[in-house]
Amino acid sequence: MNQARAEILSGIRAALQSTPRLPLPATTRIAPRATGDADAEISRLLSEIEKLGGVTRRIANRDELPIALEELVAKESIQKATWWDTPELRALGVAEMLTALGVTSVPPDASPRTLAECDLGVTGADAALPETGTLVLRSSREQPQLVSLLPRVHLAILRPDARRADLQDVFAEIKSGKRAVLITGPSRTTDIEKVLTIGVHGPKALYVWCLETPFA
Amino acid sequence: MPIPHIDFRANTQRVSPHLIAATQKSTRTALAKRAQAIEIVGEDQWQALRQAGHDIKLHALTHLDEYLPMVEARVTQAGGVVHWARDDVEARRIVLEIAAQHRVKRIVKSKSMATEEIELNRALQDAGIAVFETDLGEYIVQLAGQRPSHPTAPALHLTKEDIAALFRAKLGVDAPPDPQTLCEIARGKLREEFLSADMGISGGNFLIAETGTLVIVTNEGNGRMCTALPPVHVAIVGIEKVIPDWEGLAVMLKLLARSGTGQKITAYTNLITPGGEEGPREFHLVLLDNGRSRMLQDEIARETLACIRCGACANICPVYNHVGGFAYGAIFLGPIGAIVAPQLLGVKVAGDLPFASSLCGACGDVCPVKIPIPNILLHLRHRVVEGDQFASATVSPILGVGARVGTTALGTPWLYRLGARMMRLFQASFRRGDWLPTLPPPLDRWTMARPFPAFRSDFRAWWRRR
Repeated sequence: MNQARAEILSGIRAALQSTPRLPLPATTRIAPRATGDADAEISRLLSEIEKLGGVTRRIANRDELPIALEELVAKESIQKATWWDTPELRALGVAEMLTALGVTSVPPDASPRTLAECDLGVTGADAALPETGTLVLRSSREQPQLVSLLPRVHLAILRPDARRADLQDVFAEIKSGKRAVLITGPSRTTDIEKVLTIGVHGPKALYVWCLETPFA
Repeated sequence: MPIPHIDFRANTQRVSPHLIAATQKSTRTALAKRAQAIEIVGEDQWQALRQAGHDIKLHALTHLDEYLPMVEARVTQAGGVVHWARDDVEARRIVLEIAAQHRVKRIVKSKSMATEEIELNRALQDAGIAVFETDLGEYIVQLAGQRPSHPTAPALHLTKEDIAALFRAKLGVDAPPDPQTLCEIARGKLREEFLSADMGISGGNFLIAETGTLVIVTNEGNGRMCTALPPVHVAIVGIEKVIPDWEGLAVMLKLLARSGTGQKITAYTNLITPGGEEGPREFHLVLLDNGRSRMLQDEIARETLACIRCGACANICPVYNHVGGFAYGAIFLGPIGAIVAPQLLGVKVAGDLPFASSLCGACGDVCPVKIPIPNILLHLRHRVVEGDQFASATVSPILGVGARVGTTALGTPWLYRLGARMMRLFQASFRRGDWLPTLPPPLDRWTMARPFPAFRSDFRAWWRRR
C-alpha cells in the first residue's frame, strides 16, 4: 500500500514538474444575495421549501404549537414518533405534547429498524438558507442523523435566528464539526420518465415550522 | 481485463428510436431548468462562479501532491483508514479485503462513477457478496443488467412500462406502469437492504483537504442511508475530487446542481468528516488513481480532471442528443466522456470518441467549471492520429544522447566554436540555396515536413565584423 502511495504521489509530482502551480481565486464570495428584513427572509425560506413540496408553517406563539402538532398527527396518522433530545425541543415541550396526543415515543438512540418504524421524526435545525430553502442539521449524540432520515415524516422546528445569508456563512460555522447534512425539500427523484416522484428513500414528507420568536 | 475497441459509428446503428426520444425529452427539461436557475443567479454572477470553480479545481489539480497527503492526514487523525489504489485491480482488492475482514454478505451502494469505472460490483458478486445499487435509476439499470445511459439519469432509456415489466420479472411483484407506485416498490425493497446491509459503499463528489471531509450529493436520500446505516462505510474517490477548503465547496455546490438538473441545490448534501459520535463504526477512504496522474502530464488535456459530473455537456451536445448514451460504448458519455475515455482507456480503445463531436463549442460554453472541452477534443484527435505518442512518452535513445551532447557542446565555449565551424562543413552536401531540403536520420523527422534553414554564417564572426 505504501508503495502505491509513493508511486501515485511521485507520478503526480513528475506530471506537474514543469507546470505553473495555479493560485486560488482571490475571492470565493460570489453572488452574495441581498438579504431583506427578518420577516422577508423567513417568508423566502418557507416559500422555497413549499416550492419543493415541503409543508411550512409559522408558529406565532407558545399556544399554537400543540394545535399545530395535533393537526399534523391527525393528517399524517402519526402513531410512533422519535425526536432529538436537545434543550431547545425539551424547552418547547414537544415530547409532552406528542405523548398527550397519544403518540408512542421511541428513543432517538433506538435501533435503525425501530426508528424506521416511526411515523414521525422531530428535529431542530442549526441553520437555514432562505435562498435555496435549505436546512442545516449537524449530527451528534444529541442530534442523531437517523431521526431526520428513517421516519416517514420529518418535522423540523426552527428558530427565526437560524437563517443565514449564504452557504459560505453556514460552512464557516460547521466546518470544524463532524457529520452534517443539508436538507432541501423532501426526498425526490425523476429517474422514471423524468416524472417528479417525492419520497424515494428519505422521509416522504417534510414539515418545516418556524417559530415567530424564539419563545423557548 | 482489456476493453475492446469502441466503434462509435457501429454503435449508433443499434440505437432505439425510443432512447433518442427519451434522451431529448430529458435533456430539454434539464436545460430549460438550468437556464431558469442561472437567470435567478444573474449571468454576471454565474460567469464569476464558473471562473472561480475553474480556478479552484485547477489550483487543486496543480497542488494534488500537497492536498492528497493532507486529506490522508486529516482522515487518519479522525480515526478513518486511507487506502491508495494505483489501478482498478488494486482498488477491487482493497474493497474485497475490507469486506472479507468484516465477513460482509450484503452491500448497499450509492451512485458512483468510480466504482463503475473499476467494475467493482462484478468483483464483489464473484466473491459471493450481494450488492444493491440504491439510486433508483441505478437500481433499475442493475436489475435489467444494463449500463447507465445518462450521467445523472441512468435509466433514461427505459419507459415506465419497461420498468414495470422488469419489476414483475425480477422482483415477482405486481407492478403497474406508474412512476409513483414503481418508486414505492423500490423504496420498500431497498429499505430492507439498507437496514440489513453490513457494508455501505459510496463515491464522493468532493473531498475537502483542510478537514478530510467527504461530500456526497444526492436527491433521493440513498447516499445518506448508505453512509449512515451500515457499520462499515467505504468511499471510493478519484484523486481528482480533492478541493482545498470549504470556501471552495460553497462555490462548487452553487454550480453543480444548477448546471446539472437546474435545481438550486440537491435535496441532500452529506458532509462526512470521520470520527464523530454518529455514523458507521469504521470509515475507509480509497483514493483511486487508475490513470489520473498520467492524465495530469498532458497540460492541455489535464483540465478534463476538473469535471464535477453535472452532465450539462451531454445535455446540450447535438451528437449526444442524436445518438444517446450507449453509443459511447463505456460508462463515459457525452462530450466529457469523449475526452475522458481516450485518456483513461487509451486511444486504441476509445480513439473514435473525440471524433464523435461536431466541435460546435456548446459543451465548453455550458461547462460549469469552464473545461475547454472543444480544445481538448481537437487535441485528442491529434493524439489519436499520432498514435498516442503521449502515452508512451519515450524519446528515442539517439535523440536522448544527441540532446546530452548538445548540452555539453553549447555549454563549453571552445566546443561551441568548433561545432559552429563543423556545422557549415556538415551542411555543405545537403544545402540547396538557403535551405536544407533533406537531412539524414533521425534529423529527417524535421525535413519530411519542411526544409531546414541553412546556417548562413558564424554569429561570433558576424558580431566582430559589425
